[in-house]
Amino acid sequence: MTALAPALPVRRRRRVRYGVIALALYVLMFLGFIAAPIVSVVAVSFSTASFIAFPIPGFTLRWYWRILEYRPFVDALIVSGEVAVLSTLFGTLLGVPAALALARSRATAAAIVSNFLLAPVTVPAIVLGFALLYFLSSLSLGISLTALLIAHTVAGIPYIVRTVLSVYRSIPPDLEEAAAILGASRWQTLLHTTLPLVRPGVFAGGLFAILTSLDNLPLSFFFGSANTNTLPVVMLSYMENQFDPSIAAVSTVQMLIAIVVLLIADRVYGIEKLTS
Amino acid sequence: MTAATPQAGLDAKPRRNRPYRLAGPSWIIPVLLFLAFFFVIPLGANILRSLQAGQAATNGPLFYYIKLMTDAYYGGVMVETLKVAAISTVLCLIVGYPVAYFMVRFAGRWNAIIVFLLIAPLLTSIIMRTFGWRVLLARRGALTTLLFDWGVIAHPISLADEPFAVYLGLVHVLAPFMILSITAVLQKVDVRLEESARVLGASALGTFFRITLPLSLDGIATGCILVFVLTTGSFLTMLLLGGGKVTTLSLLIYQQFNVAQDTGFAAAMGNLLLFIGLICLALQAKFLRRSGVKS
Repeated sequence: MTALAPALPVRRRRRVRYGVIALALYVLMFLGFIAAPIVSVVAVSFSTASFIAFPIPGFTLRWYWRILEYRPFVDALIVSGEVAVLSTLFGTLLGVPAALALARSRATAAAIVSNFLLAPVTVPAIVLGFALLYFLSSLSLGISLTALLIAHTVAGIPYIVRTVLSVYRSIPPDLEEAAAILGASRWQTLLHTTLPLVRPGVFAGGLFAILTSLDNLPLSFFFGSANTNTLPVVMLSYMENQFDPSIAAVSTVQMLIAIVVLLIADRVYGIEKLTS
Repeated sequence: MTAATPQAGLDAKPRRNRPYRLAGPSWIIPVLLFLAFFFVIPLGANILRSLQAGQAATNGPLFYYIKLMTDAYYGGVMVETLKVAAISTVLCLIVGYPVAYFMVRFAGRWNAIIVFLLIAPLLTSIIMRTFGWRVLLARRGALTTLLFDWGVIAHPISLADEPFAVYLGLVHVLAPFMILSITAVLQKVDVRLEESARVLGASALGTFFRITLPLSLDGIATGCILVFVLTTGSFLTMLLLGGGKVTTLSLLIYQQFNVAQDTGFAAAMGNLLLFIGLICLALQAKFLRRSGVKS
């Protein structure tokens, strides 16, 4: 055993290493493949050429000024932000209490209801958007900010319910029992014990819901009008008519906004706690 | 911890059976009402619409469904939808599996960075990622210029607006989902099983195909179903990179809504799409129940 042990691993490690190096190179290439389109969009957003050309002929911020001049971009950005934040807020108000009620129950009905609350995420957004448009039109809510908000709330609920369910399940009931025994009322227990404990779940779910809402073109485009167009809807219609780097500039700005949202979340709560 | 309560003893047993519950069933009612009203009823009405609206009223309730299945053009679109979804699923698996394998077995402390680089693109819009491929594949795009300089292509032509570009875009958006599904399962595979196989004389490839791959089938199944469903639901990649050469069901719904406004037909197509998704979901539930994997 002692005589064999050193000889065997050495030979094995040597033979495997080439394969591992090849695999590592492949993974590096794959990550390059993932990054390439994003990097090139950022590069093109600074291009002086009004068409796509590589290498870019010169550096300019002209396309970023173009965003500010072109009203629909700015309006749509505001609509997108409003819809993302408000629908996530409504989704939280509806989803968190339900998740708290369902997480501790072992009844079959609770499992069925949990699955039902997660169902909207499995319906293709294009189908949900189409169905909701005609239904809300029959309630004369058709193309309105309210309709857009309802649609995005339906789509956001699963993300919030899912994360709160899993976080709350991992918390033992002892802490809340202790609060109740020490004389806290239901509301006090909820406010001072339960909600602080599930906050990472609410935060992570809300973040998912916001980011999904910002990019949910298949859902948003059904409710499009001058004052209900979200950013992806305006970008798509712009691309169908023109093809200049201002789309690249808007995309870059949108990415920066998402990064800022994430950084704020990190400041307020800490990313490691969100992902764990 | 439970013993720390003042009146342990008698109370402890019933409490352990039914833990303290803060929230009652009534807390579920608002969200149930909301989803019943804005999720169930609209989808139900959509089914009725596909059976009653437009030509279905005069030609029988199943008119649109029969048209989708039997008409040469629409039947072709159905086949195309399934074909595109199947091909991009297989491509994601082939491209993604080695990455997942590397992440779990060799990446070590780099794993967190790779996970971050896979998730980071989700912060950008799908329009940006798809537009990026147009930038790379345009007539004077980065990739096209490179291929021309290397002499791979004779003329600087646009590579976008081809089925090839659609698959590139789809794999780019969806491969991370496949990879993360596989790593989740691969992490639980005991390395010692692979080592035992090697010690007992199996070759590296033999070990992989006989031990590692079969043990990671759950992750492969989850990833494949996820990618398949996501592909059938997406139309942006086909719209922006396909140049009209790749028409799938969801793209057709988008076009029907924008141009034709035949609501009954669009509703029928949507329901068919939903049906495909439900079948995939049922398959997944069956897989997961059999192996008892937690999602």
